[in-house]
Amino acid sequence: MNTERTILIIDDDIDLVEIIRMTLENEGYRVIDAQSGERGLQTAREKKPDLILLDVMMGAVDEGFQVAYELRGDAVTKDIPILMLTAVTEQTGFGFDPDKDQDFLPVDEFLEKPVSPRKLVDLVRKHLPTTA
Amino acid sequence: MNRKLQTVTRDDSLLDEPTSHFVSAASLRRRLEWFDKLRWGAVAGVVAATLVASRLLPAALPTGELLGVAAVLAGLNLAYTVRNRRIPPTRLKVELLHVKLQMAADLFLLTVMLNLSGGIENPLLYMYLIHVVIASLLFKGRDIFLIAWLAIFLFTADVAGEYFGLLPHHHLLSASPMTHEPPFILLTLASFWLVLLFAAYIGASIMKHNRAIKDELVERQRQLIAADKAKLDFFRFVTHEIKSPVATAQSAVDAALEVGGDDLPEQLRDILQRAHGRLSHAITMIMDLADFTRGGDMKREALEPVDLNVLIARIVDGLGDQAARRGISIAMDLPADQPRVMGHPGMLEKIIRNLVSNAVRYNRDGGRVDVQLELRPRQMVLKVSDEGIGIAPEDQEKVFDEFYRTEAARHMSNLGTGLGLPIVKRFTEQLGGTIELESEPGRGATFTVTLPRPRPAASAGEAT
Repeated sequence: MNTERTILIIDDDIDLVEIIRMTLENEGYRVIDAQSGERGLQTAREKKPDLILLDVMMGAVDEGFQVAYELRGDAVTKDIPILMLTAVTEQTGFGFDPDKDQDFLPVDEFLEKPVSPRKLVDLVRKHLPTTA
Repeated sequence: MNRKLQTVTRDDSLLDEPTSHFVSAASLRRRLEWFDKLRWGAVAGVVAATLVASRLLPAALPTGELLGVAAVLAGLNLAYTVRNRRIPPTRLKVELLHVKLQMAADLFLLTVMLNLSGGIENPLLYMYLIHVVIASLLFKGRDIFLIAWLAIFLFTADVAGEYFGLLPHHHLLSASPMTHEPPFILLTLASFWLVLLFAAYIGASIMKHNRAIKDELVERQRQLIAADKAKLDFFRFVTHEIKSPVATAQSAVDAALEVGGDDLPEQLRDILQRAHGRLSHAITMIMDLADFTRGGDMKREALEPVDLNVLIARIVDGLGDQAARRGISIAMDLPADQPRVMGHPGMLEKIIRNLVSNAVRYNRDGGRVDVQLELRPRQMVLKVSDEGIGIAPEDQEKVFDEFYRTEAARHMSNLGTGLGLPIVKRFTEQLGGTIELESEPGRGATFTVTLPRPRPAASAGEAT
């Protein structure tokens, strides 16, 4: 039933990409990936995925945030839901609080690593638009 | 010891002081204030001695002049006191100059006082010695001798001046011929010189030795701080580098379990579940390590009003399932009328969560956990008690060391990381608080954390 739905993973951890791919494909989603912010933006514009999983910290500490802002600023991609994968809240003292900072963070939800497959699937279902 | 030093050096107060002197401007100022008190004593002493002497001694001392000296000393001392109150201590050099000038004035007034009360006849000439002793508490070698030489010069000049008739001589006792004999005068002066110079020499040597010890202590402390920082940096690095692969491995195992579903052979599922357990434990430890290295960063975040009742209730609620599975009840005794306290919510949460979760984990089945919060005007006191395995006296210091776990704790649970209590202790100390532990093996433990309540930045938020 999900065959038409495409999910883009933007993450430079190739292992995590494959794990998420396996999980989501098992649920019937189509999964494409990009291993850098730049390529992620390009892929998002070209393929117009139904949902984007975005890693917060790739090359630079805030690369994920930059990508999210650009996605939101682009007419083609601005409505695509974004789930942000993060290890930051607990780890580096980067100091953002999803509950509090939601207003100025252009993402729909944070997902703490390690990613639990069940939670991931639930959140993907929750944020996917009901009609393709 | 180590830990104490860390807390002392958080504001680096010791490190800013120049090691070339053995006092800072502020600590020298405290000495000066003490001298002011001593000087009031001297004023009172001169006045009292003058009045008593004028009644009891046969010779007529110049009472008026002596009281005048006391008045000058009192006036100067008043000026010093006012200066100390008004002008904060800034530079060590300025303070040192002040104390030298004050000491020179003291020596001069002492000489005038002696001149008016018998000169060489007056046994109070040993008061000069007191000044040399004080100088050796404050100055380095050369300056101690400077004070000694000044005292020698003033007193010798007075004695010589009186002997040669350049200065008036007042008899302390009825004109005793002995004190006017040159041999006696020379002998007294010689012994006076000897005693003062010898005192200066001893003072300088002792203080030189003390300063060497103090310099070494400061250096050791520097090394300790550097070592502690290196340790934290190392933890931070390890945390950062390890979290990502471990988290990915955890996700892989979870995905395999999820995707495999019911098709997985029982044996494979079992192994994957074990892997899941071990990886979860590793992640908990990584998180704890991250917390451990993060206290300083958290403290720099702004103070916020925190509703401790809500925070504690949330933590207890989160542990509810775990406690219920083992029949453990958690009782809360919270202030009924709760004003919000200003605090660092992140650090407070870690402190409370670690204590309560330990109390559950190391409790006996069916035991009870008590979480008690008391708000005092200046402090908040959190008490967490359990009825569990307890901590033997010889372990009570060590449980706050990183990665230390007692034999009983390891036996009871393999889930602990050995970092919970070190985090509690570190955060508590970073917030300026103290932690106490009371426990007997097999009879539970009570941890009491006392934290200062930061003053709210504005009047908003708190009403006590």
